[in-house]
Amino acid sequence: MALVSADTRISELLGELHQLIKQTQEERSRSEHNLVNIQKTHERMQTENKISPYYRTKLRGLYTTAKADAEAECNILRKSLDKIAEIKSLLEERRIAAKIAGMYNDSEPPRKTMRRGVLMTLLQQSAMTLPLWIGKPGEKPPPLCGAIPASSDYVAKPGDKVAARVKAVDGDEQWILAEVVSYSHATNKYEVDDIDEEGKERHTLSRRRIIPLPQWKANPETDPEALFHKDQLVLALYPQTTCFYRALIHAPPQRPQDDYSVLFEDTSYADGYSPPLNVAQRYVVTCKETKKK
Amino acid sequence: MAEPAQAFQDQCVRQPEAGGAVSMGPGGSGSSNSDPARPGLSQQQRASQRKAQVRAFPRAKKLEKLGVFSACKVNDSCKCNGWKNPNPPTAPRMDLQQPAASLGDLCRSCEHTLADHVSHLENVSEDEINRLLGMVVDVENLFMSVHKEEDTDTKQVYFYLFKLLRKCILQMSCPVVEGSLGSPPFEKPNIEQGVLNFIQYKFSHLPPKERQTMTELSKMFLLCLNYWKLETPSQFRQRSQNSDVATYKVNYTRWLCYCHVPQSCDSLPRYETTHIFGRSLLKSIFSVTRRQLLEKFRVEKEKLVPEKRTLILTHFPKFLSMLEEEIYGENSPIWELDFKVPTTESVQLVSNPGVVSTATVPSAPLFSKTLNHGSSLTSINIDSTSSEPMPGEKRKLSEGLTLEDAKRIRLMGDIPMELVNEVMLTITDPAAMLGPETSLLSANAARDETARLEERRGIIEFHMIGNSLSQKSNKKILMWLVGLQNVFSHQLPRMPKEYITRLVFDPKHKTLVLIKDGRVIGGICFRMFPSQGFTEIVFCAVTSNEQVKGYGTHLMNHLKEYHIKHNILHFLTYADEYAIGYFKKQGFSKDIKVTKSRYLGYIKDYEGATLMECELNPRIPYTELSHIIKKQKEIIKKLIERKQAQIRKVYPGLNCFKEGVHQIPVENIPGIRETGWKFLGKEKGKEIKDPDQLYNTLKNILAQIKTHPSAWPFMEPVKKSEAHDYYEIIRFPIDLKTMTERLKNHYYVTKKLFIADLQRVITNCREYNPPESDYCKYANSLEKFFYFKLKESGLIEK
Repeated sequence: MALVSADTRISELLGELHQLIKQTQEERSRSEHNLVNIQKTHERMQTENKISPYYRTKLRGLYTTAKADAEAECNILRKSLDKIAEIKSLLEERRIAAKIAGMYNDSEPPRKTMRRGVLMTLLQQSAMTLPLWIGKPGEKPPPLCGAIPASSDYVAKPGDKVAARVKAVDGDEQWILAEVVSYSHATNKYEVDDIDEEGKERHTLSRRRIIPLPQWKANPETDPEALFHKDQLVLALYPQTTCFYRALIHAPPQRPQDDYSVLFEDTSYADGYSPPLNVAQRYVVTCKETKKK
Repeated sequence: MAEPAQAFQDQCVRQPEAGGAVSMGPGGSGSSNSDPARPGLSQQQRASQRKAQVRAFPRAKKLEKLGVFSACKVNDSCKCNGWKNPNPPTAPRMDLQQPAASLGDLCRSCEHTLADHVSHLENVSEDEINRLLGMVVDVENLFMSVHKEEDTDTKQVYFYLFKLLRKCILQMSCPVVEGSLGSPPFEKPNIEQGVLNFIQYKFSHLPPKERQTMTELSKMFLLCLNYWKLETPSQFRQRSQNSDVATYKVNYTRWLCYCHVPQSCDSLPRYETTHIFGRSLLKSIFSVTRRQLLEKFRVEKEKLVPEKRTLILTHFPKFLSMLEEEIYGENSPIWELDFKVPTTESVQLVSNPGVVSTATVPSAPLFSKTLNHGSSLTSINIDSTSSEPMPGEKRKLSEGLTLEDAKRIRLMGDIPMELVNEVMLTITDPAAMLGPETSLLSANAARDETARLEERRGIIEFHMIGNSLSQKSNKKILMWLVGLQNVFSHQLPRMPKEYITRLVFDPKHKTLVLIKDGRVIGGICFRMFPSQGFTEIVFCAVTSNEQVKGYGTHLMNHLKEYHIKHNILHFLTYADEYAIGYFKKQGFSKDIKVTKSRYLGYIKDYEGATLMECELNPRIPYTELSHIIKKQKEIIKKLIERKQAQIRKVYPGLNCFKEGVHQIPVENIPGIRETGWKFLGKEKGKEIKDPDQLYNTLKNILAQIKTHPSAWPFMEPVKKSEAHDYYEIIRFPIDLKTMTERLKNHYYVTKKLFIADLQRVITNCREYNPPESDYCKYANSLEKFFYFKLKESGLIEK
């Protein structure tokens, strides 16, 4: 039943989103008139070659209106973004619920494991649709936006994607892409699932072995400080795999939709690094330990 | 052959735009130009009439005519090269009425007698005189042609031929076109051989009747080409900017001299276009010829003989499309000098129900390779997006394809086209506007779907490359080979780099390379052993950051198609432990069918690796296979949905499995019988493997059925005159006579096909006739009888 109500809620939200987008356009058309007015006033002032008190007052009024208009439009856009975030979280809740249901319901046929290629596409999609953080003027990007790490007491929620340091079968330590199942405050340990269903393993790991992935992309145009900089050592998801490896930032993204270009540590190349490869912001995190290898 | 050919040439010689009344094809009536009163006689008809007329002249008159083209022989000083009549005829074309000039008449220009001009002809035989007269008529005609012709290139050639013939009359020699044109044949194999190879290559597996149809089409096509008027070099230049106009011009001139002009000027030796030209000419003219041909047929379809009309309108476009693929395809085998018919082995493969059973193959062309925007051309596809051109192959947009052209061979039993179109719409437009997340690939998309899309969008490219010692290798190919060497050595760390280098650059090895953003990201290096009938896969890798995108699968599918074109149908490879999984997914197995003697000592042996083999089926378009199957699935799903909509009844689900039951007979599922499902258990009987035995058994049963007293209404196809609406109601008519023919043509390769046809005889009868009618009673009784016979012969269980 919960699933059904989530469905109706989603369609309600979609309806509201639709309305908001329409309103945005209305706002724009409305403010357009005022902006044209400002432009014309400037032109007239230029031809007269002086700023009379009349124009001064007039311009002040016009600019005040324009500012109010812009803020109104901005508000609607933010509301729209909130709606989108809400829809996404509902979808996520539904996915987790379905996953749990699938796990505890034996009468259901066993879920087919996803083919590797499909999993990779899903990972790319999730990176692509990671929301861009848009702060109010003067606001600093929050933790988990781009390169900004989570606060030390942060606890990842079930369903969140993390980089998890696990012991592989051969005893080597490896950073894998995983999904949080639960967190126990008593033991301070996470339960995480390997994202690769073929792995099917559940790991119980202490906090320090978990790095939450960013929840927003940082906008290189407005918040470049929230990005890793060139030559910084990071952990990055190797393209088309579910493992994180140490890498150097080759070039940070230039635009919101761009990826990082990174050089993976790779001994099979003469200089010890792979040629530059692209990795989305979603899958680049701070590399904590600098000692090992 | 002469008669129909005549009819054909009449229409083909004319410019396609000229239109006019035209009868169609060999066997079409030849009447269109036979009316002597019509001024529009064909040029060659007029020429031959004129020649007959001239040859019937009295000798004196003949000499006068020849004198006009003969040099004065009085002495060396007289340079007059033709006698000019001092009393020019008052009206032209009145030769007979005009009295012949006497030998004593003086030439208007050199004032020597006619006799002085024709002295060399005194002791010449009548035959030779007539031959020369033929040339005279041709010269006169060419003179007219030179004047009328507006195209400069053509005019020039006419003028050259005019001078050539004049010279030959003067010297009493035989005309030989000289110069840089070369002598026919200009290319081998010629067009005719290529087209015949094409028929063998593409249709040798078809039943004789259909093969016959294709052969007829090919003859028609060749005939058309022989009488087709080529476009002038300037027209060609306008149409195709970057093609090689110079080469075309040479070919055009050859065609004028050896094919076109000799049609009306028979003193010039004449050759058939399709005999002396080969693929290069066909390449330059095919796209435009095809369009004009189809357009012509479309416009003139009313004038076609009915049986020709069906043949042409339904089969011809597809035929041309398939041919086009072979003409422009890079690796088409039909142009190889030593082309051999695919071995019987490959033909037999077809009856192997393995991947695509014979029952489904006939409908496969429906979905199989595509023509659409003129690209991959095996047939015109319903879906204009699914073309899969091999990169590098030149494919032009074939404009002007009409809907009619898109009709292809439809078989009895095919799903109605509307349904196919409907389903295709849902496939090609998956849930149009549901946002970005659904438009991306769904979880059940085929493994190679992304790769196929990327190839179509030009994001990735596939090229067949190799090093060569004889030819100077081009730099790009060498760069790619180095790229391959890098990819292989990174991905196969256990192989020594030197070893990889040696094989990748070995001229006997080839590599199918995968290129993205101008860089090599993967490839399959292989070595063909045509004499041993197999290919060894040597290295196969995709660079690690581009893996799991379906590239490996798509690479292998391209490699398979390449080998089918080259008629090698077995892959062998030594797979290491990590590669076994990949090769299994690509249809390889550890079960080796190629005999050891065929590969031992040829293939490179690797320790600790597993030998794997893949057998190719030449009828499968591998790069499109998953796409085709997806479409077929969708269509079947749709058919099921329709059936469900008709029945509209919901049964409660089964509970027995919860109670621990593992299996129940299918017929115990409530509602399943109502869907029209037949208890197939009774068909379970033995399947006769030996085709001869099956044939004899079926033949025997059919003979007995035909002698049954209730069989008479079903002996022959229902005549439309007896039941005018029959073919509107019955979509898949069948009768015992047709079945007998099908049996003879070895259509019934499984008993299932045979039983299905028999059953259709009965169901058609029940569908068309009311249940209480006599026909239905006959049907009932015949059905009982044949089921009895089927049981008796053990084809179905008792």
